[in-house]
Amino acid sequence: MARKYGLLALAVVILSIYLFPVYWMYITALKTGTEIFANPPTFWPRDPQVQIVEVWTRLRMDVYLRNSLLIAGGVTLIVALLGTGCAYVLARIRNRWMDGVLFGVLMMQVLPSSLMITPIFVAFNQMGLLEYPRLSVVLAQAAKVMPLYIVLVRATFLQVPRELEEAALVDGNSRIGAFTSIIVPLARNGILVTSVLIFLQSFGEYVYSRSLISERALQPATVGLQSFMGPNSSDWAGVMTYSAIYVTPILIVFVLLQRQIVSGLTSGALK
Amino acid sequence: MLKFTNTFRDGVGFDTLLVGIALGYLVVFSAFPLAYNLLMSFQDVDLFSLTSFDRPFVGWDNYREILSRPELLPILWNTVKFVGISVIAQLSLGFAIAMFFQLDFPFNTWLRGLFLAGWIMPALVVGAVWSWVLAGDFGVLNHVLSELGLIRANIFWLSDPDVALYSIIFANIWLGVPFNMILLSVGLAGIPEDVYEAAEMDGATRIQRFFTITLPMMRAQLGAVISLGVIFTLQQFDLFAALTQGGPANSSNVFQYWSWQLAFQNYEIGLGSVISVLMIGFVIAVAFVYVRSTRYEQES
Repeated sequence: MARKYGLLALAVVILSIYLFPVYWMYITALKTGTEIFANPPTFWPRDPQVQIVEVWTRLRMDVYLRNSLLIAGGVTLIVALLGTGCAYVLARIRNRWMDGVLFGVLMMQVLPSSLMITPIFVAFNQMGLLEYPRLSVVLAQAAKVMPLYIVLVRATFLQVPRELEEAALVDGNSRIGAFTSIIVPLARNGILVTSVLIFLQSFGEYVYSRSLISERALQPATVGLQSFMGPNSSDWAGVMTYSAIYVTPILIVFVLLQRQIVSGLTSGALK
Repeated sequence: MLKFTNTFRDGVGFDTLLVGIALGYLVVFSAFPLAYNLLMSFQDVDLFSLTSFDRPFVGWDNYREILSRPELLPILWNTVKFVGISVIAQLSLGFAIAMFFQLDFPFNTWLRGLFLAGWIMPALVVGAVWSWVLAGDFGVLNHVLSELGLIRANIFWLSDPDVALYSIIFANIWLGVPFNMILLSVGLAGIPEDVYEAAEMDGATRIQRFFTITLPMMRAQLGAVISLGVIFTLQQFDLFAALTQGGPANSSNVFQYWSWQLAFQNYEIGLGSVISVLMIGFVIAVAFVYVRSTRYEQES
């Protein structure tokens, strides 16, 4: 028994060391401008200050976060609408063609954004899409994350028993009817968790937004944060408060859905 | 006509349609840019010819130009170091942590899941936090290290050309460990307990058991995790943007960031395409190995 609690204590220590940067972000966000540069640094703020409102208005976080939400929402919508059906078919039918499609999807999953952005920028520019910079980012990012969505949701569909679907067809449902009223509801959890994952990833998207959106009022929170972190910036309290406001909702969603996210990820990456 | 609609409601048409929509999207927004990229790498593309559909072809000139750049070799070497060190360190740390959390103690899976908090945060924010931790004058890392007596003078982690790359590697390892750890945990959990028990009864030591049971039985997972590690490491861009912008003097630059700089800061888009084409070729080769190995495992 003592051994178990010893191990637990050790585990907490390892985790604390690992998560120290996150702790440091929150602590710095609570410090005053002078305390930040105190030597030795304080590991607990002497005079905690909540600067959320001040940073929120000074750094125009409402604009940036709204853009991030719009982009992430658009991406998730496109991906869920187009990807779910594809994931389902890839889970149900195995033949040479579908194997080929699956292989292609897996290949497209690995294309790095930073390398794809050059042709995307030029092509979007020629098509006139850059007139709508946020839409451009949504379209590009949806293509980036759709393969991951398909792979993860396909793993969920694999677990839905084929018999249920066959029973529905025997009962006179059409394929579309069976798909929308039986299969998708049964795979609901997997679809939701994967959509959350896609949303969170797109909420923190940077490369496409940085390269495709030049107008400040349309940029998302990552690009905004980057622009405040110039080489000579010393407003670390501001930057860390900004970061804390930005990631706290992400971390809350993550802790709530931790178990589902972990199992969803592992089933998709290895199958 | 009725037959036509029926096939979409019930037959092969339904499947083809569902796959076709998603695949069509991916072809337009992923496969087409891929091909376009290849085309541009043989063209002279700059700010003036950017919107033109009739750009001059220059043959292998862009490739020759890239090969003649003096920064090519240092950046290549940086990329190799960035990927190699990151993947090895992420894998070994991830493996060690996964094995530790495989032990039986209260809350082990819950605590293990919390590691992913680092992975779920936007990489740019992670970069911002690390650039504050690593700051030369007031950074907390320098303070802790000098308190421990490990360093005498402050190290300028991000502006010293000798260490800048390693600082980014360090942050990247931090970012990648949780994902490696979670994937390896799945593999570890799949090894049946009685194999270990049998080996223990035969008198195998802990170390022997690790090398004769754990490692061989984890072969498939290790292959997948290493290839995924290479793939994700080559996708890393945000940390470079947040920490050093490839500097000072390209000392922490890598191909994926250089390609972007060429295209978006120097407007030498053709040259950016060349790097991009070569790197994407490499990534696809790695992905090919990964997909082949995991598919094979699944079917057998």
